[in-house]
Amino acid sequence: MKRVLPVVVLALLLAFALFPFLWAVAASLRPEAELFRGPSLLPERLTAEHYAALFEERDFWVPIRNSLVVAGTTTLFCVIVGSLAAYALARLEMRGKSAILGLILAVSMFPQISIVSPLFLLLRSLGLIDTYPGLILPYLTFAMPLTVWLLVGYFRQIPADLEEAARVDGATRWQVFTRVVLPLAVPGLAATGILTFLYCWNEFLFALSFTLGPERQTVPVAIALFRGQYQVPWGQILAASVVATAPVAFLVLLFQRRIVQGLTAGALKG
Amino acid sequence: MRGAGYFLRIALGLIPFLLIACAGEEAGTVLRISGSALGAEGEVLTRQVGRFMAANPGVRVEIQRTPDDATQRHQLYVQWLNAHVGRPDILQLDVVWTAEFAAAGWVLPLDRFQPFTDDFVPATLAANRWQGRLFALPWFADVGMLYWRTDLMARAPASLDELARFARAGISDEVPRGIVWQGARYEGLVTVFLEVLGAFGGEILTKDGRVAVASPAGVRALDFLRGQIGSIAPPEVLTWHEEEARFAFQNGTSVFLRNWPYAYPLLSDRGKSKVAGKFAVAPMPAAPGGRPSAALGGAQLAINAHSRHPDLAWSLIAFLTAPEQMLERAKVVGQYPPRRSLWSDPRLAEALGVPPGTLSDIRGIVDAAIPRPVTPVYSELSEALQIHLHRALSGQVSSEEALRQAAREMKAILLQSGLPPSPGWAGGDGRGGPRG
Amino acid sequence: MRGLSDRRLAWAFVAPALAVLALVALFPLGWAAWESLHRHDLRMPWLGRPFVGLENYADIAADIRFRAALGHTVFFTAASVALEILLGLVLALAMDRTFRGRGFVRAALLLPWALPTVVAALLWRFLFDSQAGIVNSILNEPLVWFVHPFAAWVPVVLADVWKTTPFVALLLLAGLQGIPRDLYESAAVDGVGPWTRFRRVTLPLLRPAILVALIFRTLDAFRVFDLIYVLTGGGPGTATEPIALYTFNTLFQNLRFGYGAALSVVVFLVTFGLALLYIRLLRRQE
Repeated sequence: MKRVLPVVVLALLLAFALFPFLWAVAASLRPEAELFRGPSLLPERLTAEHYAALFEERDFWVPIRNSLVVAGTTTLFCVIVGSLAAYALARLEMRGKSAILGLILAVSMFPQISIVSPLFLLLRSLGLIDTYPGLILPYLTFAMPLTVWLLVGYFRQIPADLEEAARVDGATRWQVFTRVVLPLAVPGLAATGILTFLYCWNEFLFALSFTLGPERQTVPVAIALFRGQYQVPWGQILAASVVATAPVAFLVLLFQRRIVQGLTAGALKG
Repeated sequence: MRGAGYFLRIALGLIPFLLIACAGEEAGTVLRISGSALGAEGEVLTRQVGRFMAANPGVRVEIQRTPDDATQRHQLYVQWLNAHVGRPDILQLDVVWTAEFAAAGWVLPLDRFQPFTDDFVPATLAANRWQGRLFALPWFADVGMLYWRTDLMARAPASLDELARFARAGISDEVPRGIVWQGARYEGLVTVFLEVLGAFGGEILTKDGRVAVASPAGVRALDFLRGQIGSIAPPEVLTWHEEEARFAFQNGTSVFLRNWPYAYPLLSDRGKSKVAGKFAVAPMPAAPGGRPSAALGGAQLAINAHSRHPDLAWSLIAFLTAPEQMLERAKVVGQYPPRRSLWSDPRLAEALGVPPGTLSDIRGIVDAAIPRPVTPVYSELSEALQIHLHRALSGQVSSEEALRQAAREMKAILLQSGLPPSPGWAGGDGRGGPRG
Repeated sequence: MRGLSDRRLAWAFVAPALAVLALVALFPLGWAAWESLHRHDLRMPWLGRPFVGLENYADIAADIRFRAALGHTVFFTAASVALEILLGLVLALAMDRTFRGRGFVRAALLLPWALPTVVAALLWRFLFDSQAGIVNSILNEPLVWFVHPFAAWVPVVLADVWKTTPFVALLLLAGLQGIPRDLYESAAVDGVGPWTRFRRVTLPLLRPAILVALIFRTLDAFRVFDLIYVLTGGGPGTATEPIALYTFNTLFQNLRFGYGAALSVVVFLVTFGLALLYIRLLRRQE
């Protein structure tokens, strides 16, 4: 009994976790008429019409491209700039380290809604509403603290004696950073990049507020604003959801251990 | 340089992202117009835009889709225009939006293009002026019409009293209702009330923007409508919009119908309508002290204040509002042109598919058109008014009390908005129709 | 000598990140605070942008809709977080062992967390849809969930619990794994039953992790926006509108930027107040 209970509990919770998504996948493959007739366990017919419509009628490539560009650029920028800051905070001597770390943590806790209005006015005056930079800039508010926070953790894990050894050999700080630390931190950089990319890909409020139309909307906004002519186009919405989730699911499966490490390390050490 | 090499390689690999991110707009001039593009309207717009493109090589015109629901479209416009983005260049505005967008600085004044405005029905222009300047050009006009059964009476009623009498007289077992109109708590109700109010000589806002709805004329108008409920108008009208009322008349169950022009071709359809060939139209008649009134609806075209191609946008607007294009619209969609010259043009009757006699009836209605109050806070004022009108009509309060409360709220809204009264809308003049 | 150049280098490294944060986070926050002291209606530029002091805040205090939104937010936070901690604990306990396929289980559990919130909201909206949804087909008396002000909360809370319990579970699991095994062994030797062992050994040592989970989840739940925007739109009417959504509507539907800025500041202060409270609790722990 003692051995079985946890397994049963786990199985139940696992089913709970997976069911909505699997149900959506199944529904996305059912023809429109069937969807509204009511759910049944086994679909009568399988069809890819919703997926086809997604890309042919709704040009779903466009939001995908937009999400890739914005998330990719933000991640790239944050990893580069963030790793510099993180290394300094992890290894270099400076005053006010805890203050800076505290500040970064504080910024990551900003409710997005609190800075939406001034960001809107700022972007508007710069003519950046409904543009790529107009999304990348606001994304830095949460992506940068996240990156720095995670990378500080990773850099701290790198044994200090390796750096010391390099310094003894006469390397400058910059050389130590680029030749010793960075190569060792590649797994950490990768995990950080993945998590940052994930957060950017999933982001909604800023994308909703700072884009105006399908040309620059990201995937979450595009899906949320799907409208049918007469009724809710569930088939296409679910198909789009599956498509939107696929890269995420893929990354999660591949890197689950690193992701968990990054999350829990960052959280618990906080 | 191994570590830096990593960095460099990753950076180079992702440069394409940066390039796309900083990509500019496409080459060539693109004009974007946003308007009703469903069904016949979309068909005629696409055709006309195609002709414009043929005449202007190097210019591409794109039709930007918007929801059909007026409230949703309005919300979308507000979002776009507030973002100070230049798309779309041209917007189709509902008649009650122009003052709002003009006052907010979101659409361009058109006077600098020196539009030839003499040909337009003055009421349609008045609705598009704010503080003396013109901000949108009328595209097509809608007017509230009284549909009456020609088999149940000899002529259209000449006064509101006659209307009530004819309605009562026409009621029978097959035709249980005297009159049906839009009485749900929405904008349509205000247009219905506006017509009866004008019939009694009242107005919602005065020439200088002061609230005048709680006048004796207002009370009389509201009482008139209230009196209809339960006697010649079924209580259900208080939940009806345009379509429910149309169906009631179309199925032959009502003596009178108050609705918009769109219903005309549907009611004439011999296959579906029981009253085909048995009805005609007239303006809502007057009572002593007032004049026949028809609420003005319809659409106008305005230029986005941040458009990058205002001159080009103007040439498209001038094209779309030219007489030939308006005539084509009348033919394909059945929408009335706001140009006076077209109402004396023999081609219009043919385009609309109505006999010349009916055309002069319709002309009389367009003559009687009055716009709703031209003010940037119209939607708030309307909301306040709707609530109290509906309460009075459903018997919860007296007409006097309802209008008093409505007036109080409307005054508060105007006060809070710090609005200067608009010299643009003249309540009494500007009513000369096509014949004027 | 080395110390000095170290410090300068450190600042050079940190400067770009700090500059970015200053520009896109701190400056806007300050601007929001300044803006909240003005009246700024973007539809009425002729009114200008007059300074009105704390008038907006006075209005908020009297604003019924704000109070309702605050109530909704508190209710949502309490319900969701309580369920998440509970379920997360159960899940963590169940996973606190080595077994085959553990990686797969973890990945599967992470899926709800990794999805965009929008997708999660749409999935649950579909499940509770009055016509096509499976919930209604199982019930004897189907409900139109999203039309009832109280029933509409059910899919909302469920969706949030579904999405974030894995995160809580993983946090707690990490905490569980930090508990030395010999404590369990000595408890077993002392003949202590599983429930007592849980109360006396596990729970106290798990307190820090639970507290961290509480902090993160409470702060997140208080800021809820995406989920409710997509799932109910704040409806029916404003029955499920949280403060973030009320602020958003004030800003982008009504274009009242002064008042909206004041709301933003209030949301920020409340969130920060909560964070500080928790951090103090955490400090007291240590």
